Amino acid sequence: MTASYIPILAVDVLGSVAMVVIALVCLYKARILRNMDLDNAVFLYLLWISTGFTIFAISRAFGHILKQFLILTANTQTWHAISSYSGSINTASFMLVGLITIFFNQIWNINEKILSGRKKLENTHIELMDLNQTLEHKVVERTERLTSSEHKCRRIFEQSLDTIIVTDSEFKIIEINPAGITLTGYPRDEIIMKKMTVGSLFADPSEWDRISNKIGSDEYILNEESEFLRPDNETLLVLITGGIDYGAFGCAKTYHFIIKNINEKRQIEHQIAQTDKLAALGELSAGVAHEINNPLGIILGYAQLLLKLAPDHQDDLKIIEKHVLNCKTVVSDLLSFSRKGSTELSIVDINKVVDGVVKFLSNHSDFRNIEMSLNPYTGDRLNILGNEQELSQVMVNLVINACHAVDGKGNIDITTQKTGTDKILIMVKDNGKGIGKENLSRIFDPFFTTKPVGQGTGLGLSVGYGIIKRHQGDIRVKSSKGKGTQFIISLPADRTSDLG
Amino acid sequence: MPKKNPYSIQLFLKFLPVMTIAALILLPIDGYATQLHAGSEGIITHQMGHIFFLFSMVVLIFTVTGKGLDKQKGWRLVQYSAFFFILWNLDAVTAHFFDNQIHAVKIENISLWKMKIITNNDSSLLAWFYYILKLDHLLCVPAMLFLYKGLSRLVDDQRQMMVKKESR
Repeated sequence: MTASYIPILAVDVLGSVAMVVIALVCLYKARILRNMDLDNAVFLYLLWISTGFTIFAISRAFGHILKQFLILTANTQTWHAISSYSGSINTASFMLVGLITIFFNQIWNINEKILSGRKKLENTHIELMDLNQTLEHKVVERTERLTSSEHKCRRIFEQSLDTIIVTDSEFKIIEINPAGITLTGYPRDEIIMKKMTVGSLFADPSEWDRISNKIGSDEYILNEESEFLRPDNETLLVLITGGIDYGAFGCAKTYHFIIKNINEKRQIEHQIAQTDKLAALGELSAGVAHEINNPLGIILGYAQLLLKLAPDHQDDLKIIEKHVLNCKTVVSDLLSFSRKGSTELSIVDINKVVDGVVKFLSNHSDFRNIEMSLNPYTGDRLNILGNEQELSQVMVNLVINACHAVDGKGNIDITTQKTGTDKILIMVKDNGKGIGKENLSRIFDPFFTTKPVGQGTGLGLSVGYGIIKRHQGDIRVKSSKGKGTQFIISLPADRTSDLG
Repeated sequence: MPKKNPYSIQLFLKFLPVMTIAALILLPIDGYATQLHAGSEGIITHQMGHIFFLFSMVVLIFTVTGKGLDKQKGWRLVQYSAFFFILWNLDAVTAHFFDNQIHAVKIENISLWKMKIITNNDSSLLAWFYYILKLDHLLCVPAMLFLYKGLSRLVDDQRQMMVKKESR
C-alpha cells in the first residue's frame, strides 16, 4: 500500500520536539514543587518522574528526528547502525520511569509517615510551648504568691508587738524581731553576732533548764511564765510559747518562740487586787472605827468629868484619858484610810506642799545625817484640787518612812514632775534597805508594819493611800531589797486654773 | 598407627588460590563466561519495557484513586496523563509486534512525500492500521501535556496552601 509520508513525518518530528519542550517544562514545574517543600517525598518523586520523562523524551526525540533525517537523506544504513543505541536508551528511560512509578505507593506511604510525624512534632512543639508558657505563668503566679506570703510573714514578724525569736538547734538566736530587741534590751548585732542563746535572757538559769527540757520532751511549750533579765538589771515577767520546726526541703531544725511581756499586765492585776483588798479593809475599818468612836467619846467624856469631880484618882484618870485619846487618834486614822471623812478642797500647789514638808523635816534631829535633795518641776505651777493639810501629812509619812529605811543616814530624793497636761507626779526615793518582795503587797494594809512594836501603828501608809485615793490619785511603790525604795504619787492636775 | 598432621588441611587451603591461578595460567582452556544476546532479544527487552511502563501507569492510576488523590484536580490530570501513556504503550507494543517481532509489516520510502507499506498478506487493513499506529505521538504528547497541566495545578495548590498557612 502506498501512503503519504508527510503526516507521519510531521507528527514524528513535531511530536518529538513537543515532547522535549513539554518534558522540560514539566521538569521545571516539578523543581518548583520540590523547592516549595524539600521534605515532601511525593514532590521528590514527581521530580524523579519528570527527570525520567525528560530523558525519555530527549532520547526518543533524538532517535526519531535523526531517523527521519537519515532516511530522508538515504542514509538508512547509518540509522540501522545507531538505531539500536537510540532504542536502548529509550527503553532504559521509560523503564526508569516505570520503575519510579511502581514505588509511588511506598513513596506516598513514607511521605504520609513523614508528614504525620512532622504534624505530631508540630503539635508536640505547640503543646510544649503551651506547657512552657503555662509553666512560666504558674512560676510567675507562684512566685507572686510566695513573695506576698513572705511579705505577710515578714510584716507579721516585723510589726508584731510580741517578741518572735527563731533559734538554731542549739537555741542560739538567728532571728529576732524589733519587739524582741525592745523587750530584751540587747542590740540586734550583739544578739545575732555573738550568737546569744534564749537561755541567756532568763533571770534564773534553772528556769531555762526546766523549759528547754520540756521542749526537748514535748516538742513545745505553751504559756510558760518566767522572768527575763535585761542588761540594765531590770526583770520582766514574760509568757513564753515555743515549738520545734523540723524544716522543709532539707532545712536545719529550728525553734520558734513567741514571748509576751506580761509585766505591766501582772502589775495592773496586782494593783487591782491591792485596791480591792484595801477597799474591803477600808470598809471594815470604817465600820470598826465608827462603832468604837462613840464608846470612846463617852469614855473620854466621863474620864474628863471624873478628873474634875474626883481629884483623888487624878493619875489613874489621866492614864485613861491619854489612852482614850490615843485610841481616838487611831480611829481617826482609820477613818482617814477608809475615806469616810469629809475634807475641804482647794487649789494646792504641790511644789509648795513638798517644799514646806522638806523645810519642816530638815530641821528635825532624825534628819541630821540625811542628805535630802528636792528637785521641783520648774515649768508651770503644779496645781491640784485637794486638801493641803492631808497632802502634807502623806508627804511627811513618806519622808519619815524613808528616813527610817536609811536608818538615819543616807539620801532621800524628792522630785515633782508633770506628765502631759493632766498628771502630776511626786516621787520620794531613798537608798535604804528596801522592801522585801513578800512585803510589797502588804505595805498599804492597815496595821502592817515591819518596825518594832511601839515604834509605829502601821497606819501611816494606809492613811496616805486613803488620802491619795480620795484625791483621785494613785500611789505606787518600786523597791529592790538592799538598793532602796521609790514611792510615786500620781495626782490629777487642776485644769480650772489652766483655763482661768 | 601413624600420627595425623593437624596442619595438613590448613596448608592445603592456604595454597589453594595460588594453585588455582597457576592452573589457569599454565593450563588454558576455552571460556564462555559471557552470554551472547543475539537475535530477537533486543526487541523482546524493548517490548517488556513498554509492558512494564504500561503496568506502572496502571498502578499509578489505581494508587492515585486508592489514596483519594483523584479528588484533587492536579492528581486527576496526572491520572489522565497515565491513561494516555497506557494507550501510547499499547500502540507502541502493537506496532513493534508487527514490524520488529513477526515482521508482518515493512516500510519503504519511495520519495519525500510517499511511502510504501508492505504487509505479508497484502492486507490493506493491516497496512492502514499500522499507518495509524505509527502516529503514536498523538498519544504521548497529550500524555505529557496532561502531566504538565497536573504539575502546574499541584504547584498552584501548594502555593495557595502556603499562603493560607502563612496568613494563619
